Formats: sequence, C-alpha cells, structure tokens
Amino acid sequence: MKKLNLSLKNPIVSYIGFGGLLMLVPALILAGVLRNSTLTLVASVIFYSIAALGLNVLLGWSGLVSLGTAGFMGLAAYISAYLTHDLKLPFELALVAAVIIPTLIGILVGFISLRIEGLYLAIATLAVSEILRKTFEVFDFFTGGYSGKPISFPTILGFITQTPANRTLFPILMYTILVIFLVAVMILIHNLMKGQFGRALNAMRGSEAAAQAMGINLLKYRLMAFGLATALASLSGVLYVHFIKYTHPGSWTLALSLNLVAAIIIGGARNIYGTILGVFVVFAMPDLILKQIPYFGTIPNFAFIVNGILIIIVIMYYPYGLIQITKDFKKIWLKLKERFS
Amino acid sequence: MNDLNEQTVLSISELSIAFGGIKAVDNVSFEVNEGEIFGLIGPNGAGKTTVFNCITQFYKPNHGSIRFKSKQGQTVELTHHKSHEVIGYGLVRTFQNVELIKELSILDNVLIGGHIDYKTGVVRQAFSTKTAKMEENAYRAQAIEILKFLGIEDRKDWLVYGLPYGILKKVELARTLMCNPKLIILDEPAAGLNDTETLDFANVIRTIRDKYHTSILLVEHDMRLVMDVCDRICAINFGKFLAVGTPKEIQRNKAVQAAYLGTEDAA
Amino acid sequence: MAIFMQLLLRSLETGSVYALAALGIIIIYRTSNITHFAQGAMGMFNTFAVTFFFLYGRMPLWLAILMGVATAFLMGVLVDLVIIRRAKRIAPISKQIITLGLIMVVLGLASTVFGVDPLPLPKLIQGGEFDVLGATISYNAVFNIVFGLALMSLFFYILQRTKWGLAVRTTASNELTARLMGVPTKTVTMVAWALAGVLGVLAGVMIAPATKVDLNVLDAVQINALIACVLGGFQSFYGPVIGAYIIAIAKNMIVFYGQPLGLDVWGEQLVLLSILIFIIFRPNGIIGKKIVKKV
Repeated sequence: MKKLNLSLKNPIVSYIGFGGLLMLVPALILAGVLRNSTLTLVASVIFYSIAALGLNVLLGWSGLVSLGTAGFMGLAAYISAYLTHDLKLPFELALVAAVIIPTLIGILVGFISLRIEGLYLAIATLAVSEILRKTFEVFDFFTGGYSGKPISFPTILGFITQTPANRTLFPILMYTILVIFLVAVMILIHNLMKGQFGRALNAMRGSEAAAQAMGINLLKYRLMAFGLATALASLSGVLYVHFIKYTHPGSWTLALSLNLVAAIIIGGARNIYGTILGVFVVFAMPDLILKQIPYFGTIPNFAFIVNGILIIIVIMYYPYGLIQITKDFKKIWLKLKERFS
Repeated sequence: MNDLNEQTVLSISELSIAFGGIKAVDNVSFEVNEGEIFGLIGPNGAGKTTVFNCITQFYKPNHGSIRFKSKQGQTVELTHHKSHEVIGYGLVRTFQNVELIKELSILDNVLIGGHIDYKTGVVRQAFSTKTAKMEENAYRAQAIEILKFLGIEDRKDWLVYGLPYGILKKVELARTLMCNPKLIILDEPAAGLNDTETLDFANVIRTIRDKYHTSILLVEHDMRLVMDVCDRICAINFGKFLAVGTPKEIQRNKAVQAAYLGTEDAA
Repeated sequence: MAIFMQLLLRSLETGSVYALAALGIIIIYRTSNITHFAQGAMGMFNTFAVTFFFLYGRMPLWLAILMGVATAFLMGVLVDLVIIRRAKRIAPISKQIITLGLIMVVLGLASTVFGVDPLPLPKLIQGGEFDVLGATISYNAVFNIVFGLALMSLFFYILQRTKWGLAVRTTASNELTARLMGVPTKTVTMVAWALAGVLGVLAGVMIAPATKVDLNVLDAVQINALIACVLGGFQSFYGPVIGAYIIAIAKNMIVFYGQPLGLDVWGEQLVLLSILIFIIFRPNGIIGKKIVKKV
C-alpha cells in the first residue's frame, strides 16, 4: 500500500484544504457570524478566480496579453442561460456546450497571436471582446438585450431544484459546486504548469528561438494556451450566471477584463494562490474590508479610491505581486526563529 | 535525394541566402563527419551565424541543400522542415547570447530539452496519471545525470536569473544533451568566458563527443579553442567559401591568412 | 450625395474626438511606454469639472472649458510627478496596470466629488446650421472638426519643426540615449502627461453635448482610440490619428448603407472584425514598420 502524502507541503493537499477553508464561509453564515451577503462576495472571488487562473496561463506563463476575457465569460454565461432557461436543457449539458463554443472561438483568436504580439495582441483581443459585447446588446431574443436576462437556479443532476423548503440551503449548494470547481481548476493548473506543458509555455514566453530549437511548436502551444484560458473563462461565466442568476451586457466590459489582468499582476503572475489573492484584493476587498473601516468607510467610494491607490503601490513596490509579501514574512519568521533558538 | 555517405552526418551544398539584395551567404558547401568536431570560422560578419540559422531553419535559404543523417538513420533534407522539427532528427543547437528561461530553475531549463520525447499527452499530464508521473521522473533523473556529468548538479534548483556566464553556457549545453542528439551546433561557446573557463569548455566538448557519440559543429572567435578542439575547420569570408581542412592546413592556407589570420598577425 | 456628405461630416466630428483621445494615448505610449487605459477616465473627470464650473460656478462655457483644460493639465502633471516618474524601473507589463489603478482612483474621486447623476453640458456654439453640398451641419460641428484638425496640425508642426518637438521625438525613439544627449526627458514626459490630459478633456467636451456627462461618458471613445492606435500603428504619432478617422467614417457608412441589408446594428462589429482581419495581414498597422528579431 502506497503511503499517502498528507502534508500541507503537497500542493494538491493544500488546495483541497483551501477548499475546506472556503466551506467555512457558509458554516459561519449559518452560525450567524457572517452576513448573508458575504456568501455572494466570496462566491464572486471564486468564479473570478477561475477566469483569472485561465488568464494567468496566457499572461503569466505564456506571456500573451489578452483583454478578451470578459467577452468570452459573457458569451458562455449567455449560452448557458439560454440553454437552461429558454430551451430547458439540463444544466450539465448547458455547461459543456457553454464551455466548448467560446473555447473554439478562443482558439481562433490564438491564430491571431502568431501574427501579432504584445500590445497589439492585447487590443486585438479587446476588439474581439467588444464584438461579442455589442452582439449581446443587439441579439436580444437570445440575450435579452439591454434589459439583461434573469434566470433561476439550475436543476442539479436533473432532480435537485430550489424549493421553498431549501430556500436558504440551495445557494450554499451552488456555492459548494463553485468551491469544487475552483479546487479542481487549481489542481489542474498546478499539474499542467509544473510539467512538460508548463515548461513549453515558459520557454515560449522566455525565448521563442530556444523554444523552437527545442522542438516546441509555437502555434500549437499558443492555441492550447488560448484554448485553456478561454475554457476557464467560459466555466467562470457559466458559474457566474447560475449563481448570480442574471446577466447583462454591462457586466462584460473592458473594465472586467482589465480588472482580471490587474488581479494577476497584483497577486502574482504564475502563482496559483497569488492569483486568488489578487482577485480578492480587486473584487472583494472594497466591500469586505475597506467599507467596514469606521468613519472613512462611510465616505462614498472611499473603498474604490483606496483600492486604486493600493494597486498602484503594490505595482511600484511589489513588482512580483503581493504573494511576494508572504515570502518576506517567511524570511522574517525564519530570522526570528534563528535568533531565539 | 541522394543518401549521404557512410561517414557523413551533415552535408551543406551550394548554400546561399540574401537579405535585401546583400548576399550574407554565397554558395557555401561543406560536410561534417560522424564523431567529428568541426569548426566554422571567419571574420566578423562573415555569415557564420547565418549558416547556423539556415541549418536550423530559422532562416530559409534562397538556394542550396542541407542534408542530414537523422538519428532514425534516414537522410533528411532539412530545408523542407520547420525550425521546431529539426530537433526530432537529432540536430540541436545553442545560441550566441544564451537563450535560457531566467524565471526557471537550472533543472527545469534542462528538462525543456527533453520536450519532444514526452509520450504522455496534455490530458494525462493534467490529471497527473501514473504514466505521466513516471515519465516526468525518468526525464528528471536523466537531466540530473547530465548536470552531474557537467559538474553543476548541486545547483540544479537555482534560478537561472543572475548566474555567471560560465554556468549558463553549461546549462544550455546540458539542455542540448537531453534529446540524445546526433549533431550539436554550438554558436560561439566561448564568448564571454575567461581563459580557464574556455579551457574547461574545450575539455567538456571533447568529452561530450566521446561519451554521447555525437558530432559537434561550432562557430567560434576564440582561435585557440578552435585550433585546439576541432578535427577539421571550414573558413568563410563575406559569405563566401575560403577553405576547408585540418587546423594545420587552415593555418597555412594563404587565402585564410589574407582574409583573417593574416590581418590578425599583422596587428 | 447629400446623405453621403452628411455622413462624412458626422464621421469627421466623431473622428476628431477619437483622434484627440488616440493622440493622447500615443503620446503617453511613446514617452512613458505605458498603455494609457485611464485616458478616458481622466478625460471624464475633467469633463465633469467643466460641467461643474459651468453649472455651479456660473462661468461662461468657454471659461469653464479653459478651467477644465487647466485642471486636466494639473492632473497630468500630478500623475507624472507622483506616480510615473517613480515607476521607471518596473517591468513593462506591470507598468500597464498602473493606469488601471488610476482608473479606479479617478472613478472613485469623480463620483465622490461630482456625484453619480448624469449632468447636461451644452454645445459651445449654440444653434445655427448651414448647408454644405446639400448636407446640414451645425456651427458647433464645424467648429469641432476644424478645431480638432487645427489642434492636431499645430501638434504635428511643433513635433516636426521645433526644438521641443525634437526633444519629444528623441525621447520617444530612445529614452536613455535622449537623456545622455542632454534632452530633459523628465520634463518631456511630464508635458506629455499634461498634454494627454488636455486632449482627454477636449474629447470629453466635444462628445458630452451629444450624450450627458456621466462616469462612462468617454468609455466608447477610450476603446475606439485604443483600436485606432492598433489600426494606425504604435510606431508613429500620426498613424493613430488616421486610424481614428477611418474607424469613425467606416462605422457611420456601414451603419447607414447597411440598413437595407439589416446590417445597421451589426455595423460596429463589422468594422472591428475588418480591423482584426487587417492587422492579421499588416501586424504593425497602416504606418507601422516591421521589426525584425535577431537570434
């Protein structure tokens, strides 16, 4: 019998532990310690983290800048909403379809990346995203147009639906599904990036010439990177729409794509926990922490301003992301330990 | 296409390439034999690196053929292939300015050299299946073996960023050895190295040839290294072929002296 | 013909707005190596300032605009002094994020200072229109077109013909060399940020009467200006300006002439798609040069 490595040093174990930690949130809400709204806030950190982890494959590991994330998230959200709400198809089927269709488009965008690079690629992907967003606005039998598209919670596995009896528990079930997806994505990204595939992406970013000389087919890996990033953005969009139960063209703008890029840079490129930390800072910190500060928290938009300043400070003093801070803490801790032992 | 002779591993004939009307390489031919250390020399701007870039298909030559005896035993016309395909036939190169991935460890950089040999696909890697794990561990062991051979195994987990040039050159060399190459192309291996490091490198090149049974083709400015380590040398100037022969013959060759060594002697 | 003229004139007006914003983005890109995502947000803030000076400061509109230009100038200088100047050495990709932080700060400040309610801003020249080749055009539109073109001509004249322009061009082509040659690159960068701010508020003042002044007044302009930069190429100053006019003209034409085919609502998407296809074939834009990488 093989011995299982259960130490937290094993990343897989730590990811599952992290999932367990996230499950404390609904427990604390049921116990009355946290407010109900916290569930939605933490859930948003979870689905945005999934999209950000995908984007990190492009931005962090492959060195390809994309500003198209919001468009693909939105597309997946609308497809899934349409399939489950209008066509009454099963949630699981809608999820698969809503991930596959945008991913195919994402792979097409990958072809562009072989011709153009850097800033040009970023703005080309922005154009793709804008095309999608404009389409959400005008394609109203499918998207509900400007007024948006409200849907209800999905039916899970064909028989679990929201009823008056499980009114409070159902959101927690949805939240649990989000947590499971996040942990699975973390493990997947970890496995891929530490091995041959991740090294190929690293090589592509670091030196195209060396990558080619070592037999890495740039086109193939760019397409795979775009495919993976779009698939995760789509998954994120699907989870978004079924948790929030509403989608609107205004949710899928350049601002969202930029915020996801910011989350990665702030948290730490090529770092899984860093990405989630960055998403937390950008998407949840204003509401969860900054607004709770006495006196200042009551100034309208104080949180927004502070967050903006914080982002600028982090970029200027922690260019490798906030995750660097944990390493600094570790160093200080080790020094203290040395001194007192 | 004619098959290559028993002892020939690489044959370049009538190679020409021009950039915007300027002929960087003009009708150059030479052959590299199995197990040989072959030097390509010439003054600055003679077109040496361009020849290398043509062989590895970073540039597509305008004219000429580049035939290679692959590790599968067939004769391959390299000009019909893409730059990422040549390593599969057993031809691998280093770069003038060291092209390593500075955010990765030495070990990971070396593992990139094993990229094409991986049999498990992305899906099995994603789920970290048993075969994927076993394969990864096998290549890790091979990489560590190579690092041991080059004497830098103790630093395998160091990040490449900021390491001295001498070590970087060795890491790049280690990376080429991962694919069990038939021919290694070294672009100025001694550039940026000091005298002791250069001497050390000459020994490393010879040991690689003997231990890994490869041929080596190198471009170099450092004449002592070239004369010391090469079995045969081809000299070019302004993209044109001058002479080919043993180091002694090349040193005595009038055309080469005039174009290259001569001016250096006079200085 | 009359319809065509009408469309063309309208396109020139929106084109001027896009071009001013694009010029701001390209000045920043060339002198600071930063993609100025906050160009629209900063323009929005100062357009709000203009509206406040006009509505609550009871100033005449022209004075309010001048005041807005002043605040935009100051804001640009401030951003450079406080942030950009200290961020020279950070990695290029991180640098781009600075302007995202700026967007948040500016959006937060704007809603704190000016509130979130949309405000009206009148045209600079009230009323009056005349006919050109059958097309009707307001004096204000003519003013916008002529003013935009004149401002840009002045900019290019300064850039190409004066000592200051030379300083900007050398900083843009190689900052380090420029500094070694005694070009005051710090001042150049500061003036660039101030100038970008001014171009932003002018774009805002031009477009605001057509809509209302709110937090998103320049969002579309920002996106179109960025795309204009790609279409025209980031390597020249005038490429993005040409790109901006092309986008505006193409959009108006497709929306109108595509109407019988049911293409009007798809006009914008079609223009973007054509631009995408264009840059696949000309990756460096209309004016851009190809940069060859060496191994």
